[in-house]
Amino acid sequence: MTKQTGMPLAVIALLAAAVGCTKQPLNNLSIDDTKIYITNRDSTANFSSFKTFSITDSVAVIKNNQLNVKTITPTDSAFIAAVSAQLQQRGYTLVQKGQSPDLGVSLNRIYNSSTAVVDYGDYWGDYYGYWDPYYWGYPGYSYYSSYVGVYTVTDGAVAIDLVDLKDAAATSKIKSVWSGLIRGEGIISQSNASAEVQALFAQSPYLKANN
Amino acid sequence: MYALVACLAVNSAYAQQDGVLKLRLDYAPGIPLGSFKTDVVNQTAWRGYSGDLMYYINDRWAVGGATGFHDFYQQYPRQVYKGADGSDVSAVLTNSIQTVPILAKGQFSFVGGTHTVKPYVALGVGGNFITYRQFVGEYDSGKDAFGFAASPELGVNIAFGPWPSSAGINIGAAYNYMPFNYAGINNLNNLAVKLGVNIPFR
Repeated sequence: MTKQTGMPLAVIALLAAAVGCTKQPLNNLSIDDTKIYITNRDSTANFSSFKTFSITDSVAVIKNNQLNVKTITPTDSAFIAAVSAQLQQRGYTLVQKGQSPDLGVSLNRIYNSSTAVVDYGDYWGDYYGYWDPYYWGYPGYSYYSSYVGVYTVTDGAVAIDLVDLKDAAATSKIKSVWSGLIRGEGIISQSNASAEVQALFAQSPYLKANN
Repeated sequence: MYALVACLAVNSAYAQQDGVLKLRLDYAPGIPLGSFKTDVVNQTAWRGYSGDLMYYINDRWAVGGATGFHDFYQQYPRQVYKGADGSDVSAVLTNSIQTVPILAKGQFSFVGGTHTVKPYVALGVGGNFITYRQFVGEYDSGKDAFGFAASPELGVNIAFGPWPSSAGINIGAAYNYMPFNYAGINNLNNLAVKLGVNIPFR
């Protein structure tokens, strides 16, 4: 009788020991390895048709799809400077927003609470609430994106959006032409801003003023 | 489930008085094959174990139940992947897969009698508990599934005394056929190389 119960127990013990040996998948992941960089674009956009850009002077903090506040912390400044530098390296000229820029550039920090996720589709649906088209001098216009992704943001993320202001008047819409999203550990950091923005641009070689 | 299979095997074994019941335990690293190797994990699962509880009906045939465990893992360095929506995603990708098959198993020895060296062929057929996780950076997605599994096997039992009542060692190789359809993956087929012991119970 002892043998009858002992043998299956031995098999179960073997299995339990084996399952306990599972390698923890993220043990080897460094802080940098946790970061993911997602870019997307309007495939019909001709990026060399844009020559100038203007960038927002603050960063919108979005919590659960709602604008929480616009801030300009040292970290926000670092991200704005990094994006501006990358665009100028790609041949675009920085102008004031009153000087009819071809591209509008906005930066957003996205957070969630413990009970909600921020859907990137909703993020674009609510874009009007973060950056009123009035900001760009086009009151009453609506935003439009043809390529919204399917990402959900379950913690912090930095989103950078390029919108087409050059053609806004002709279409009565402000069309999104490029988006970059950064997620992972320690992404919202003054010291990391430049490298993270550079990574987004590195995987977007088409983003340049001159062919 | 494990207990059920094991108990069935034990009860079946003890219902007959002529044969011998043997427990076999193997270290069994798994080598990914085919599209599983090229698309998901190309590293050998050194965390691999298998075991069976077989009732040796006579000098050639045995029937029973088998199970096992493989932990497949691979981390790919950062590169840019194309997302389903056309996006470009730069990430370190980690795939983690565990399989636990539960099989009914039959075994035939090519050599009869009480020879101590018994080459054999075996076939296990049953189900497979699968845990699949893919981490994009630290963000995971995946699927837990129960699928089909079949495991043809070739090997040799080497007994320390008269077969089958003596303990011995096993050397073998099993082709683990494991269909699994998810996110472009078709299967988790692998080759398990087995080395272990078998212990008679009566």
